[in-house]
Amino acid sequence: MDHQDKDAPSVVCPGDTALKLQDISKIYPGTVALHKVNIDVKKGEVHGIIGKNGAGKSTLVEIIAGIITPTGGRIFVGGKGYDSLSRIDARKKKIAFVPQEPQLILDFTVAENLFISDYTRKGRLINWTELYAKAEQVVKKAALDINVRVKAGDLPVSEQQLLLVLKACYVDESDIIILDEASASLSQKDEELLYRIIQERKREGSTILFISHRAEELLKVCDRVTVLRDGHSIITKNCSELDKDKLSDLIVGEEFCSDIEADTAQLKDMSEIVLSVENLTRLGVYHKITFKLKKGEVLGLAGLRGSGRTEIFKGIVGIDHPDEGAIYANGQKRRFASPAEALKDGIVYLPEDREKEGLINNLSVRENLILNSLNNVKKGLLINRNKEKKAVANLIKGLDIKVASPEQEVSQLSGGNKQKVVVGKIAAARPHVFLLDEPTKGVDISAKQGILNIVKNNLSRDAGVIITSPGLEDLINICDRILIIYKGRITGEFLRGELKENDLFLAVQGGVQDKCS
Amino acid sequence: MPRKLQIELFLLDNLIWVILAGFFLLNAIITPMFATYGNMVNILYHSAIMSMLVLGQGLILIIGHLDLSLESTLVFAPGVAMLLATRWLPFSLDPVTAIILTLAIGALIGLFNGICIAKIEVNPFLQTLSMMIILRGLALFLIPLSIFPLAKVYTYAGQARTIGNIPVAVLIVFIIFLIFHFIMQYTAFGRHFVATGGNARASYISGINTKRMVIYAFVIAGLLAAVAGLLAAGRQNSVSNSMGEGMVMLAFAGAILGGASLEGGKGTPLGMLGGALLLGMISNSLNLLGVGVTLVYATQGALIFVAIVLDRVRIKVRNHLLHQEQVRRLIIQEQGG
Repeated sequence: MDHQDKDAPSVVCPGDTALKLQDISKIYPGTVALHKVNIDVKKGEVHGIIGKNGAGKSTLVEIIAGIITPTGGRIFVGGKGYDSLSRIDARKKKIAFVPQEPQLILDFTVAENLFISDYTRKGRLINWTELYAKAEQVVKKAALDINVRVKAGDLPVSEQQLLLVLKACYVDESDIIILDEASASLSQKDEELLYRIIQERKREGSTILFISHRAEELLKVCDRVTVLRDGHSIITKNCSELDKDKLSDLIVGEEFCSDIEADTAQLKDMSEIVLSVENLTRLGVYHKITFKLKKGEVLGLAGLRGSGRTEIFKGIVGIDHPDEGAIYANGQKRRFASPAEALKDGIVYLPEDREKEGLINNLSVRENLILNSLNNVKKGLLINRNKEKKAVANLIKGLDIKVASPEQEVSQLSGGNKQKVVVGKIAAARPHVFLLDEPTKGVDISAKQGILNIVKNNLSRDAGVIITSPGLEDLINICDRILIIYKGRITGEFLRGELKENDLFLAVQGGVQDKCS
Repeated sequence: MPRKLQIELFLLDNLIWVILAGFFLLNAIITPMFATYGNMVNILYHSAIMSMLVLGQGLILIIGHLDLSLESTLVFAPGVAMLLATRWLPFSLDPVTAIILTLAIGALIGLFNGICIAKIEVNPFLQTLSMMIILRGLALFLIPLSIFPLAKVYTYAGQARTIGNIPVAVLIVFIIFLIFHFIMQYTAFGRHFVATGGNARASYISGINTKRMVIYAFVIAGLLAAVAGLLAAGRQNSVSNSMGEGMVMLAFAGAILGGASLEGGKGTPLGMLGGALLLGMISNSLNLLGVGVTLVYATQGALIFVAIVLDRVRIKVRNHLLHQEQVRRLIIQEQGG
């Protein structure tokens, strides 16, 4: 079949176009993920794509890989134009894709995971000896020390990720290799290996699309880089013309002025400490996390994906238990065994994964909204239906949730409205502490403003709020204070008034900062 | 919300009763002797035992699991209680104590299932499959011959009639259904219960003790199976080792007809009652029409299939109606603004 006709060796002439995107757009209901993006990827180059969270990087590469269908524009591969590619088309065009999260069959051996698409396609008996021998060759070629007979699930995440890179680079023999934040879950040692593999593939003529939000890494690995901002392709430049500061200026765009919103923040009474965390540690995940949260304060946690933000939240409310450290709530030392206990002490957690951990999708909007505050609408043992209806109606109005009826299934709402339901649910319990993990993730711009407003003006009135966000500008907008989390540690603190997006952007990437207090 | 939409939603949310009414009307016309008071009471009487299993299975489905062992609990709980009451103990137990004992045994079986599934995280299918076989086997061993006759108290629950010739069993069943409907709709426990089934992870993070909810579900189901066992024993004035055999699959059917889904988080006790009654009504009308027993069984199977398809259609129609309402509001808003 077509993947086997290798008799025409591809001649690499730098300068030829391997892949061209023309005016690619992707519109989701209520939000524009990509707007007329143009990118020209040359044969044999390592082409970087960089941008902030939500800039559209993943959407873009998933369109190239044939996973998402674009709304408009054309894709040119090997000189031919397409309106969209299916995953099978993309494979035939020898486009390999390594997704952000390692997707392996965990109960299969390393060797099987490497060759799964091939041996299933041949339809004969599997020659196990040969399979293992071939797998060992691949691993050896990459100078990786993995036993190919162990189960993929027994490998550390870092090696699982590498395995997919190996599959894309050595097994599929692809011409175009897309690495979507491939280094995000790699250990330092494996990162070096990845860079080496990339250089080797480049020498052998493959084209590599390298997606990252870490400027430093990108400059190290890539020949050229395209910057995405808010779904637009801003510029494509040679890496030799750039340095870290220039690149981060391009990524962030216009400097954000933070002093325009010094409004009600000063009026809040911020003396009472509602939550204090001391030396909270979970081995290998976060380390000696210490901070105090005051009533009325909005505290931002800024950090990259995988920096430990989510894990710190989960540690505080007792979903994954910390190994060491102490939590003080209501003036008493606490260690929560489950979110139910944390709720009793007035601490609620809004999970990052709305669909899996936030909503109960086949229940109605009413049932979701009232779930945490059933005690407030009870009369004796029983729920008072009228009180419940009133409470739900107030929440829907207060949060401006767009629903046809409170009885509508929550799964039918748009992302922004779903998120408002989750926010409403936890707000209705009237807690002292809100832990909001990416409340603005994947919602359209107006819903985002709505949610940020609610956080700033409503939630923080009688409680302390800790918030993370995919976009730094959200944090700058509403936070009184921002802590920088880098690789599981607090590496910096910015107070309101000294919040500059550029400084923050460098700080979350582990850059040294002079403002460390 | 416009009145028309409200009515449509009401009908969709109570679809099983709409079907039941339709089926009733159809039979009233084509089936001789169907629409008589005596036959109605008959249907209720013959649905009583099954409906307890349907409710038990339905509650387990709401929490997102399944329980095959209910049909064996149905024989094991009254069987062991009767043996204790009449043979094993040196003194004989009074019937009321024996009834309490039966319920306690049913609840304990459920507790055991629940703990294994929630705490040790055994697969519910395998856990309850093994319990189903173990308990049936023990029943065969312990009760090689039927235990009979039973004390008056049991036959009263199983056979006696009250005003209007309505069986006591039917009254008991109705009261139990009403209680559960009330619990599920009007208590925080009930709402946490449904939420756990809808999304266990989200419920846990919301601060619900989801493991405890699962254990409760199995205990309640075991209890209901024991009630079904008492009714069955009372009706035939004996405990025989084949009681309840093969009933669990139909219990699934009834629960799914009543709006439950294998994904959990769906269904209401009153819906389950409707499902159980529909099963009873169908076998009754086919009997009256002179259709053989085996075909009745096949028909019930076909009914499950129809129920599943209908449920998908129902959800699609419901979402479509609400979507249109949302669009309509948006248009009004834009015209107004």
